[in-house]
Amino acid sequence: MPPEPDNAAATEEAGLLALTGRGDREAFRLLYARYSAPLFSLAVRFVGNTGEAEELLQDVFVKIWRNAVVFDSRKSRPFTWAVTIMRRTCIDHLRKRRRIPASAPLPADAGAPAGCSTGADGRQAAEAREDSDRLSEALAKIPPDPRRALELALFSEMTRVEIARHLEQPEGTVKSWIRRGMLDLRTILTNSAP
Amino acid sequence: MNPQLEELACLYVLDRLEPGERSIFEERLPRDPELAALVAELESTLGRAVRALPQGEPPGGSLADIEARIDLNPAVGASAPRSRERERVDPTPTAEFRINQLPSNGASGQARRAVSLWVPVLRWGIAAVIAVGVGVIAVEHLRPIPAVANRPFVIVVGLDSQQSRQTRLPLSERLRDADASFVKLASLAGEFWDKPSDLPVKLGSNVRSGRGYALFDPASGQGFIGVRQLPAIESGRRYRLWILDTASGQAREAGVLPAAGSGSGLYSFFVAPAVKAVAGRLDFFVTVEDAVAPASARPSGNVVLGDPRTF
Repeated sequence: MPPEPDNAAATEEAGLLALTGRGDREAFRLLYARYSAPLFSLAVRFVGNTGEAEELLQDVFVKIWRNAVVFDSRKSRPFTWAVTIMRRTCIDHLRKRRRIPASAPLPADAGAPAGCSTGADGRQAAEAREDSDRLSEALAKIPPDPRRALELALFSEMTRVEIARHLEQPEGTVKSWIRRGMLDLRTILTNSAP
Repeated sequence: MNPQLEELACLYVLDRLEPGERSIFEERLPRDPELAALVAELESTLGRAVRALPQGEPPGGSLADIEARIDLNPAVGASAPRSRERERVDPTPTAEFRINQLPSNGASGQARRAVSLWVPVLRWGIAAVIAVGVGVIAVEHLRPIPAVANRPFVIVVGLDSQQSRQTRLPLSERLRDADASFVKLASLAGEFWDKPSDLPVKLGSNVRSGRGYALFDPASGQGFIGVRQLPAIESGRRYRLWILDTASGQAREAGVLPAAGSGSGLYSFFVAPAVKAVAGRLDFFVTVEDAVAPASARPSGNVVLGDPRTF
């Protein structure tokens, strides 16, 4: 698994964001080179097809360009900041779309993003299956209830209340499951890091 | 660590906290190194999780497309005007006070995107900012703003057809500039729009018609007003927003609400930074006025939101 950028990398990326905020196009391109693939993959996971994911990716990088100036490294890591932008953009998109193709929990053995079945999407799905889905492998190690709650919190547009309704559980239970799932995921991903 | 704190930390990193929870959490975060360390770990976990997804590469032309979009409006970034400034598309740039509609849907708009990063108002999408009515507020007639108390806050006003109720919503940190103020206000306005029950001001249940809320940051002079179910309006009439200085009793028109159809909408407004505005208690009212009435006239029409006994 590619390591999460260490502090040095995060510092470097914060510097790139600062330069981007001052209009440095080259710094912006470097950020794109680092972030585009994971953010694109996240968008595919959310919306279930590469076409919409590409549009969302473009929206997000325009936002990154325009808002790099307000990034505060004391509050979050650069990549987390970008991920949050992408997640919010995807959630907004899905809520507008009024359908939930990617909100179902990710099966433990499902390697492909939801909705990838034909054409370019189909090819991507095939490639995704060939490339082991390390997240699914990690999630499979989490007990079922916390895993389902965490997956919905990670990759759906549902609010907390909607997640609770979907899982037919009290909101407090769902919050507890999300906590359990997230802490388990932390342990699993940390232990599996090279 | 307290499991509830761990729970909040997880929900915080997953961006699943309600605004009130987030505010409380962020207030605690800088004072609790253990909690801050957990948040950092969880952020790292989120990053690892995203990188552990099946990785796909975006199409090769994406970066070029992004840069082309950026080039359409290159005045961005730190050296550019503030995002709030960029949003102005109103043809009367000298107006001191204006209202911009945040549409609930619509086509993409560069200006809207400039301020949409943090805001749940994104739920209304990347949309063209429709500049609507403009009013001029002679705020010099209002008392100057006193220094904002040590604790930063925004004013929240709940409005219905019979009354207004006001409170101060404390913020976890001072809003460092107009952009931060706008983003925060927009975020709160969007949250309250989606979930009115979270408003810190509660309105009476005996609401004949129409209700709304206003958020105002006296430090930046910016605000939002959300209205719902305003009664149908006759041709030649329009809704006007007024700011009332309750100390002096002076009311000034703050702009025109373009609420039509459903009588609902969420709008931003601001007082030009050069204007020293507003002190003590501000209140907000919406009346129905003749469309041709002068902008600076006193309210004469029926109050549809706010306390009708005020005028």
